Amino acid sequence: MSTNSLVLCRGSPEAWATVSAALVKQCNSHPIGDGFIHLPPPSVRQCVSEELAVLCTSGLGRHLESWLLNRLQTSLATAVAPEFLAGLEQPENELEERDRARVLLDAFHTLLEKLEPFIGGLETLGRWQEEGRGGLSGPGAEALRDRAFTIIRARLLFSPPAALRRRVLEFYSRTFSVHMSREGRGREGGSAEDGGPEDGGGACPGCVGPAGHCWCQEALLQLQELSDILRRLQLLEQVSSEAVTSIMHKLLEQRMEQHCRGEYERSFLVDFDEWLELVFGWLDRVFASTEEEGAAGSPQGWTPQGWTPTLGPGAAVRGSGSMLEQWRRHMHQFFCRVYVNMRIEELFSIIRDFPESKPAIEDLKFCLERTNQKQQLLTSLKSAFESRLLHPGVHTSDILTVYISAIKALRDLDPSMVILQVACQPIRKYLRTREDTVRQIVAGLTGDTDGCIDLANELSRADPVTLEMQDSEDEGGALEDWLPDPTDAVKDKTGSKRRSSDIISLLVSIYGSKEIFIDEYRTVLAHRLLHQLNYNTAREIRNVELLKLRFGESHMHYCEVMLKDVADSRRINANIREEESKAGAGPGEEPPTPPPTPLALSAMIFSSEFWPQLKEEKLELPPAVSQAMEAYTHRYEKLKAMRTLSWKPHLGSVTMDVELEDRVLTDLTVSPIHAAIILHFQDKSSWSLEELSAKLGVSKETVHRKLALWQQQGVLREEAGGQYSVLETGSSRERLERSVLLMDSDEEGDSNTTTQLEQREEKLQLFWAYIQAMLTNLESMTLDRIHSMLRMFVATGPVVTEMDVNELEAFLQRKVREHQLMVSAGVYRLPKAN
Amino acid sequence: MLIIRVCPDSESLCSSDPSSKMSSQNTDPAAAASTAALKGSEAGGSAARGSVTKRLQQELMTLMMSGDKGISAFPESDNLFKWIGTVDGAVETVYEGLRYKLSLEFPSGYPYKAPRVKFVTPCFHPNVDEQGFICLDILKDKWSALYDVRSILLSIQSLLGEPNNDSPLNVAAAELWDNQEAFKAHVNAVFKS
Repeated sequence: MSTNSLVLCRGSPEAWATVSAALVKQCNSHPIGDGFIHLPPPSVRQCVSEELAVLCTSGLGRHLESWLLNRLQTSLATAVAPEFLAGLEQPENELEERDRARVLLDAFHTLLEKLEPFIGGLETLGRWQEEGRGGLSGPGAEALRDRAFTIIRARLLFSPPAALRRRVLEFYSRTFSVHMSREGRGREGGSAEDGGPEDGGGACPGCVGPAGHCWCQEALLQLQELSDILRRLQLLEQVSSEAVTSIMHKLLEQRMEQHCRGEYERSFLVDFDEWLELVFGWLDRVFASTEEEGAAGSPQGWTPQGWTPTLGPGAAVRGSGSMLEQWRRHMHQFFCRVYVNMRIEELFSIIRDFPESKPAIEDLKFCLERTNQKQQLLTSLKSAFESRLLHPGVHTSDILTVYISAIKALRDLDPSMVILQVACQPIRKYLRTREDTVRQIVAGLTGDTDGCIDLANELSRADPVTLEMQDSEDEGGALEDWLPDPTDAVKDKTGSKRRSSDIISLLVSIYGSKEIFIDEYRTVLAHRLLHQLNYNTAREIRNVELLKLRFGESHMHYCEVMLKDVADSRRINANIREEESKAGAGPGEEPPTPPPTPLALSAMIFSSEFWPQLKEEKLELPPAVSQAMEAYTHRYEKLKAMRTLSWKPHLGSVTMDVELEDRVLTDLTVSPIHAAIILHFQDKSSWSLEELSAKLGVSKETVHRKLALWQQQGVLREEAGGQYSVLETGSSRERLERSVLLMDSDEEGDSNTTTQLEQREEKLQLFWAYIQAMLTNLESMTLDRIHSMLRMFVATGPVVTEMDVNELEAFLQRKVREHQLMVSAGVYRLPKAN
Repeated sequence: MLIIRVCPDSESLCSSDPSSKMSSQNTDPAAAASTAALKGSEAGGSAARGSVTKRLQQELMTLMMSGDKGISAFPESDNLFKWIGTVDGAVETVYEGLRYKLSLEFPSGYPYKAPRVKFVTPCFHPNVDEQGFICLDILKDKWSALYDVRSILLSIQSLLGEPNNDSPLNVAAAELWDNQEAFKAHVNAVFKS
């Protein structure tokens, strides 16, 4: 193209030669070392100007620009770039790292040397354009330079060769570790990276060179040099950012992996902040080396702008400053992201360890606010719950414990409770399917199990929490603190106000109603009262009072009556005892006074309406005992008019001494059935299982099981033919065994009260009675009618009477199959009376 | 020789069941909170209907749980104050094998006022008139709040077998009573009509 122009315009070849030589030669003729173009002598400048004018008048001036750029491109493509790459590749394997660094630096040196003339030339041309010398016009120095650098970047780094990347990465890694070991020595006491002994003759922690051959200092100088060259070529960002990014990311991840994984009891924010500060020191070296600029500030006066803005000290500080700032932000963000990622993975364990892992939760909270990973956290936590917690192998109390920890941890993590609500949904759903959930929660509340002590503590905190938060009046005070719901909140009718974080409320609401809990508590309470039998209710009274604060007075009414029953029993008992002794002292006052019994009977009297249903079990007590009971009943009836007692013979406990020929067993505490069995042996020393079973009105299996205790005690012995007889004299060996008194181990578990399952069966039985009655009287009814009738009329007592239509239909179908019911065209009726 | 002495601390459990002795007293759990002093406390005016409902619900429950053969009753619709009752004729009476339907209406003053009970199924009986009205002392002057639906139905069931022929509503039936064969034929004829 340039030659074409020359041919067209006669008279200008000389001028072209002079000008082009001035542009390119000028550059060639100057040493590159410091990288600045020295001013050409004035005479030359004068001459060039004249020639330039000639060129411009012949219309060739505008071609100078494209000619110069073209030359740059050609030379890059044919010579500079291949040379540069060859310089990098050449000594591939045989060199040591230190030399490789040298080679890298040399390659860039050469590159700079080769390109400098063109850049200088463009610079000059640009200046001419700006000055409008010889009528020359164009985009100006700055734009030209940008164009040149674009070309260079495109040629060299459009697809940077692997060797270059490798080298750069290696070099930066090295200088990074040198920097860190130098800085870290001062600040972190060697706890960082390699931590090897430095003066002990081992390898230098920075450069890993052998002792005495440390090239740390050299490396840092090289780093500075490289940075300078790159900056001059405006390649700094392109060449180094990738390497720098990958180094920093890798190291950050490594460090995180080493320090934070599995470690939840310490906050790492400050730690990492300090570490990041060190890292920024290195970045500072990479992207801004201000000392050097101070020394090289000479061309300042030459052009007002300086020929590359990054070289002016002020500009450099500004430029690198903003770049550093960018890096800083990037790294902080990256740290948060990596940290959140790691913690999300570990969140389940963190929750499990909660009160100890609070620092981790707080760190996570800080970081989570800066990254947008809530959704990720939720998904991951949910699946962690499902895979690690919610399967049949986990005990309900463990699930509850984790759930409680999760409530505590997540309400710290996210005060809006959205995470808590969403993530724990699967737990709640799962707990609903476990049969013993309620029992476990209630046991936890009353401090029965060691599993969930937290609950008991939580209860005794006793904030009067309104369970359903039905009061809307409390809005007034909290208006200023109101925050909108996060967008990922579950939209439900309850709204944010109701998203409770109170542990007990949350647990109780698993089932959606507190009645079921109160029922269960009643059962537990009954169980406890029936088991201690010592009228000591201090602890229960406390629990009931605490629960009253939670659930409201009216719900705990039944429990209060139960406790009152115990207190009343104690009083009545004392009363009757007193009367008994009086009666014993003055006989003859009443004709039917029973003979003073050897039995000291004390009764626990409870109002049948208020206690949970007790298991019915038949037991015929020996006459002596039943007489005592009758007498007791008699006195009670006198004491409390219009009332009577109905005894539960199988419940209670008996303390007795057993005297045998050669030994006495004292103070045995056994259940009534045990006592009844042994009492029968008082009259007759040998019984068969059948006889005993008939006498006691208890199944043979039960009798057999109960006899085991006395056999264990060495009191009874099973003989051939299913006969049991008393062992009046025990062998010495047996006596040894007996010296350890084995108490009744309560082998049937603690179910004096009916279990939920039995209650359910009873409930169905009750329903069946209602259904039969309504069909007897109303002839025929549809499913819906039956259902609504049941709903309307089966509402008495504390029995949970909910039953949905489907359940009812299934139940009715069963009855139809059993021929207890007939159905035709959706109408149920009873079969014709037989 | 085996001697067993039961030590003074032995205990036993029993429950006091108020309804087993005096069945209609003290069945309202809410009121029972203030335990003993319930006797004679009569709810007045406004609370009355609520407590009647409660009482009727309780009675229904008792009836369901009692499992008595041959008597049954249930609210007719969603109105708890109107029930349908069923009484089977007792065995070895002329009413054996017959099932009579009754209607029971409870006044708002229940249980201090007697319910209105009448036969729906036509019943040939000395103390039942043609409209089904029953002449039974406990439904009239002998009514007491201690009675309940169950006792009414049981009384009616026994009335069927043991009529009071001294003050008959149905004079013809009273006169025919001595001739059981003829009486039974008449009963069946009326029952089917």
